[in-house]
Amino acid sequence: MWVDLIITLVKISFILAITVGFFAPVLTWVERKQSALMQDRIGANRADIMGFTVLGLFHIIADALKMFTKEDFIPDGANKILHTVSPIIALVPALLTFAVIPFGGQYTLFDKEVNLVISDLDVGLLFVFAIASLATYGYVIAGWSSNNNWSLLGSMRTASQMISYEVTMGLTIIGVLMVYGSMKLTEIGAIQENFWMWGIFLQPVGFFMFLTASIAENKRIPFDAPEAESELVAGYFTEYSGLKFGMFFMAEFIEMVTIGAIMTILFLGAWHIPFLTTATLLSWFDFLGTTGSNLVVMLIHVGVFFAKVIFFIWLQMIIRWTLPRFRYDQIMRLGWKILLPLSLANILVTGLLILALN
Amino acid sequence: MAYYVNRRSEMTWWEKSYIPEIIKGMWLTSRRFFYNLFGFIPFFLGTEKDRRIMTVYYPEEQVQYPVAYRGRPVLAQNEDGHPACVACGLCEIACPAYCIHIEPGQNTGKQNQYERWPDVFNIDYAICIFCGNCEEACPEEAIFMSDDCEISMLDRKQMLYTKEQLLTPVADLQKRIEFTRNMYAKWNY
Repeated sequence: MWVDLIITLVKISFILAITVGFFAPVLTWVERKQSALMQDRIGANRADIMGFTVLGLFHIIADALKMFTKEDFIPDGANKILHTVSPIIALVPALLTFAVIPFGGQYTLFDKEVNLVISDLDVGLLFVFAIASLATYGYVIAGWSSNNNWSLLGSMRTASQMISYEVTMGLTIIGVLMVYGSMKLTEIGAIQENFWMWGIFLQPVGFFMFLTASIAENKRIPFDAPEAESELVAGYFTEYSGLKFGMFFMAEFIEMVTIGAIMTILFLGAWHIPFLTTATLLSWFDFLGTTGSNLVVMLIHVGVFFAKVIFFIWLQMIIRWTLPRFRYDQIMRLGWKILLPLSLANILVTGLLILALN
Repeated sequence: MAYYVNRRSEMTWWEKSYIPEIIKGMWLTSRRFFYNLFGFIPFFLGTEKDRRIMTVYYPEEQVQYPVAYRGRPVLAQNEDGHPACVACGLCEIACPAYCIHIEPGQNTGKQNQYERWPDVFNIDYAICIFCGNCEEACPEEAIFMSDDCEISMLDRKQMLYTKEQLLTPVADLQKRIEFTRNMYAKWNY
């Protein structure tokens, strides 16, 4: 009992440390540096401590200090409670989805089965979508409560865009469910031990549609109409400053990690290395004993998982700094007229293929 | 003949989907990304980096300017430490911005010594327009445009450089001296 509790606490703190403590701050730096390198610039590198710049990594500290010391501004006529609560509503779902995301398989450590997922729900995939769509409320309330035309327009766009693309996302997931026959994310991950069972081979169209839809869900650049700087100042967070603005910012970056993690589990073989089964890996480190070999394999798997997540983050950043913004009607057309029929067709073809092959 | 641009060219179905263009764009940007990512490693190791990477890590990395570059004008200082300038005032007259101020000093009759020299020679870089007319006007090869362009001060008064600050050994200016001799052909008579 106590051991289980401690293991769960360790897993929760690991996830919090790696998302809030590592990914969210480092991604602000990565975003600036990567865009700089793509555009033949140098990027942020001036913040230094005692003459050391470390490629501009100290800008993270500088940004955090700036956010903490800024005035926390609530505009006149704004709904104070909702204005304060909405960043939290936006941030929490992004973190909460990690509760069901497995970042490794099952390992035997000290005669104890350790499952590297905080809560192994039977309806894990549904839980992810249920929680992720809660974030929409945060964005809509943020725009509505700040008593500003730009914010309201931004939140209206957010609502329509998120709802449109959630349909596609959900329908794409049905194809994945049909292939794997399970909603348990750990099971989906375990099936992909076989390289040819990776989701990207079984659901290639679904992969690209899911990528598109999830970038639209995250409101990053090809789909950033809700916060379009050139049209709506900053969209739904126009009236936010200081740490509340930072929370919206952090929510965006953590959502990037979430998207990367879900994509990794559904389509890119979760924590598995191609052509290397867990049993093979375990036999390689057999000389370390059961616990030792399991520990090494666990570390390798967690590393591989986060390497894949980082690849997806890199991909999202490349897309963000390559493509221009869609017009609002183009976003709607892409969502309803192209992606929705395509995802329905994807389900049909998947079903027919499964019927034919069985 | 008028030139017409066909703005209504028919796109194929594949082109309309934008997928090829998206792939092309992402290929370009990711190529630049990796190119710059690995191209900057030699700089941090302290070696020469690939010439094709144009971006300069500016304050740490400096560009070698060509000889023809006109930076701030400086005074040539002979090997014995005396200025080559004879305080004739031609550069003062040639200067379109009136940034040069000269007060001459001269020999009181001693033999085998310099006859004339500037007692005061001030150039106000806040006014200077870096045209190079002073260099062209100088008959004594005494004033030259250097390759130094980093003259920013917190106070405007500091921009006024006196003779001591302007004097630069001839040895440092040799390239520019050769260049001006070719350029203006002053000494080719």
